[in-house]
Amino acid sequence: MSSAEAPEIRGGLAFGPLWRIARRDLGRNRRRSLLSMLAVALGLALLIAFNGLINGVMDDMRDNTIRYDTGHLQLRRPDYDADSLSLRGSELVDDLDARLARLRAMDGVRVASPVLWIRGLMTGAEESVDLRLIGIDPESELHAPFRDALAAGDFLSADDRDGVLIGRRLAEKMGLAPGDKAPLAVVDAEGKLDEGLFTVRGVFDTGLIVYDESVALMSLSKAQAFGQARGRASAIVLLLDRADDAARLAATLDEPGLRALSWLDLNELLGYYLGTVKRFYWLLDAIVMLVVAVVIANTLLMAVFERIREVGILAALGMRGRQILQLFMLEALALGLLGCAVGIGLGLAGVAWLQTVGIDFGEEAMSGAGNLAMGSVMHGRIDLLQVLLLTLWTLAVIGLASLYPAWFAARMEPVDALRQT
Amino acid sequence: MDAVQLDNVSKTYAIGESQLRALDGVSLTVAQGEFTAIVGPSGSGKTTMLQLMGCLDRPDGGRVQVEGRDVTDLGPDARADLRRDRIGFVFQFFALVPVLDAFENVELPLLLAGIPEAERRSRVDELLEAVGLSDRAHHRPDQLSGGEQQRVAVARALAPRPVLVLADEPTANLDTANGRRIMEIMQGLNQRTGTAFVFATHDPRVVAFATRVVEMRDGKVVGERAGQGASPTGSPT
Repeated sequence: MSSAEAPEIRGGLAFGPLWRIARRDLGRNRRRSLLSMLAVALGLALLIAFNGLINGVMDDMRDNTIRYDTGHLQLRRPDYDADSLSLRGSELVDDLDARLARLRAMDGVRVASPVLWIRGLMTGAEESVDLRLIGIDPESELHAPFRDALAAGDFLSADDRDGVLIGRRLAEKMGLAPGDKAPLAVVDAEGKLDEGLFTVRGVFDTGLIVYDESVALMSLSKAQAFGQARGRASAIVLLLDRADDAARLAATLDEPGLRALSWLDLNELLGYYLGTVKRFYWLLDAIVMLVVAVVIANTLLMAVFERIREVGILAALGMRGRQILQLFMLEALALGLLGCAVGIGLGLAGVAWLQTVGIDFGEEAMSGAGNLAMGSVMHGRIDLLQVLLLTLWTLAVIGLASLYPAWFAARMEPVDALRQT
Repeated sequence: MDAVQLDNVSKTYAIGESQLRALDGVSLTVAQGEFTAIVGPSGSGKTTMLQLMGCLDRPDGGRVQVEGRDVTDLGPDARADLRRDRIGFVFQFFALVPVLDAFENVELPLLLAGIPEAERRSRVDELLEAVGLSDRAHHRPDQLSGGEQQRVAVARALAPRPVLVLADEPTANLDTANGRRIMEIMQGLNQRTGTAFVFATHDPRVVAFATRVVEMRDGKVVGERAGQGASPTGSPT
């Protein structure tokens, strides 16, 4: 050996040796490393599960609204007042047969069916209930979800002149069962109060409070007669082969005196609500990530303070500040990656459970859902892109959280670090 | 060419509101291959001088040269590179990386310097053999005695083939036999490699190994004499 020749200045420490030191450092305080890793795992699992749940709830709300209410597309008069369920002749769609024939012949249209909405009142011995009376074509596939949800009695037939279907909660509230007589009142197209006694033909149970509590179905022809709508309908509701075609088809269906609205247009309020919910969840995501960041920063700071003198030794041996920074960030990244792997597993398992079983919040808890088509059982949906983004976000937050401790270690003067006991 | 040269170097530390002048206009030259002891009471400035020679710290005044190159104003990365390639350290507290075994500790400065694997292995094996620890190569520091740890530290200091090894109280935490063994190893390596050794010590038995003794007091060099340069058997050379 000779010290005479001066070695060239070389590139520095490769990943392998840095990783060797980082890995063993993590193993030095296994309990702390394990707890930090678990904090990351549980944080990410929570994020995946929360977001999976909200995905499922949003999907359910949108699908339920489309299935039971709006369809994919509706044709209405431009001035139709949907809030008051107007029956004014000028606001209702006429010439139904010709329009239906034309619509049903269109590519991409699976179902086209007229619907008449009437604001009504069911009066009982003790109380009266506001409801939405819907005149339907009982043969139409559009109403298959109600047919499938039939819990007692029979579904309507096209020529049923005095039968109504009501929801389970309404039936319970009014003490009605199939075969019972139900008094209904509506304000007709001429503004007069019309009353009628109908037979409860069947009871449906959709699991959605908004329908089970305040909707009654009757045949379209009877509803038109009851509301003096003169063969007209509030809207023609379409189901399409592909929901994504709604906006495109809507643009082709607009004609003078008739306006086509896609399910997106019709659910503007729902969209706004879902947007608000999403923002709330982003806040929740941010809080969870903040907790993860604090845990990681704390773990790393403790590691740095415990090893200040070692940092001094590494610096004395010629490790540059950047390499010391890399060493500590590598430790954080290792904790983060391991935590994320476990978190993804736990989170996906949680969402899978939500998807198949769901959480039953009970009808009472969901009675505050108002007009939202939310069932009492909430399901989740796995969105792999979302899982990837949440994982990347978590890793980015861990990276940021580890920057300060790592930078603290890297900027220390070797002589100060070596002085620590 | 001299291994290291201090020219009128000063260093002051702030301790609370007071100032402690650790080095006060020190000039000293250590030639290549010297085996030099720095002696003096606690607080005389021995450690500070080693730290400035080793580019672990920067002086407030004066110049420091390593192998004729002025290193006084080098930035942190350049000082790190210089330490990595040209200067070895042996500390009182052994200062091994606890998660690495003996082999890996000696190998670390070579990894930092980017030395190829085959050469690394050869150098580490050679050095561990030189300090008598070939059979303990894969023991971690907590599985080694204090003397063994310090021998690993000596091997590590020599691994990058530095021009200068700085040892701060290298035997202070060792018993007499192990202290003597360390000094014998350092002396042997000094003679074999031509690397300059500068060690700070209180211990007259350690001083006896030096070929040159520099005495310090109150931050100044107050005397200098030729050492006995004790042989490995204990008698002066």
